[in-house]
Amino acid sequence: MPAHPIFRADPTESTGAMNTHSPASIYVARSLPAALDALNECGSAGAPFAGGTWIMRSSIRHEPHKPHYIAIGKIPELTAIRIDADVVEIGAAVTHAALTWALADLREFDVLATAAGRSANPAIRAMATIGGNLSTSEFAAADCVPALLCLDAEVEVSSPGDQERIGLERFLKIRPTLEAGRLLTRIILPRRDRNTAHARLPLRKSGDYPAAIVSLAVSFDAAARVLAARIAVGSVEPVARRWERLEAALVGRPLDPAQAAEVAAELADEFTGRDSVDMPAWYRVCVLPSLVRRAAVAALNA
Amino acid sequence: MVLTLTVNGDRLSSAADPITPLVDVLREDFHLTGAKPVCREGFCGACMVLVDGAPTLSCLMPAALADDCEIRTVEGLAVDGALTPIQAALEACDAVQCGMCFPGMVVTLTHLLMIKPGATRDDIRAALTGNICRCTGYERIVEAALLAVAMK
Repeated sequence: MPAHPIFRADPTESTGAMNTHSPASIYVARSLPAALDALNECGSAGAPFAGGTWIMRSSIRHEPHKPHYIAIGKIPELTAIRIDADVVEIGAAVTHAALTWALADLREFDVLATAAGRSANPAIRAMATIGGNLSTSEFAAADCVPALLCLDAEVEVSSPGDQERIGLERFLKIRPTLEAGRLLTRIILPRRDRNTAHARLPLRKSGDYPAAIVSLAVSFDAAARVLAARIAVGSVEPVARRWERLEAALVGRPLDPAQAAEVAAELADEFTGRDSVDMPAWYRVCVLPSLVRRAAVAALNA
Repeated sequence: MVLTLTVNGDRLSSAADPITPLVDVLREDFHLTGAKPVCREGFCGACMVLVDGAPTLSCLMPAALADDCEIRTVEGLAVDGALTPIQAALEACDAVQCGMCFPGMVVTLTHLLMIKPGATRDDIRAALTGNICRCTGYERIVEAALLAVAMK
């Protein structure tokens, strides 16, 4: 590895703290090539460390740490956001807080600004990254995933000497088996004339994981009829996905929140909710029509 | 490898594992027990410290990544024993209850009043979203923060 800080674990040392954890080294990468080389060198023994809000809770989930982590939060190109006339590119290590701030004046990205700006709590949002949100297969309640699905996002996956650009839906399918040494480096969003909204239902007003999420992007024709709609549902099933039957049902007519909720109620049985200690599976599914209505109202007001 | 951290202006060393949560190094190695490891999930805010001036959950930050940062804990807020405006207001409003969440609340509010000296009630409530008080003593804490704003 290049000559940048490497903090190695010493198995003979311990703080004596109550929260026992397996030792791990941390290499602070200062450039993308250095991070990719380190990840490639470590193979399955290593993993990227972005915001750390998932990795640092490994012991609570009774999961051991990887022997090696490569910290990517100080790599300039991974922490940058580029806003052009036809595209927005977001580095994978951009935090939720930075993303919220950067998108504040771009109404077409309300859905993503809301997703990033309402998740968890302020201190988590200052740490957690969008790349971490997308790459953590086990985290079903990630707010940014459905938001990016409805924005037709693509992602860039890099490895030493190679870069690949794929659709987000494809990435979500391959991420559990993504080869060691490959890193999500960028999220690419096309800019379009559309109204967007993000509706989420946490148990408390804020600070909790949402029971369910509905993200909506909709464009209209000159007669105010829906020209195209993309709707994604998060937190209900283990992986967020688009609701294509509902999208098709909205096209060709004015966006009516009550009517959209009625259609959603008819179609909701295509979802199989996930059970968890905080709520039963059926609850996540039965709140979907209300969230669709809220999202439609917000999109009309955008 | 020995970690060297700057805490409340002091350079301190620790032989902790690099991925040890900062809160454990602060408490176990440096005996700064103001930050509390309560939920260890980033939900409760009892472990909040300032890292380079920003409120940071020290349960979720590996000590190694704090290596070149300026860390300030609740013990380092009062200068020469003189309470800060928010500390004085919290005392005046009798806002302290069991004390578990309190150091985190003080750190969060210290930062808020620094970046937003004219903070409103809504600003204060929003800033405290990630600080959970199990005594549910929020109102007096919010009133104290408003008092600190008014006294500036």
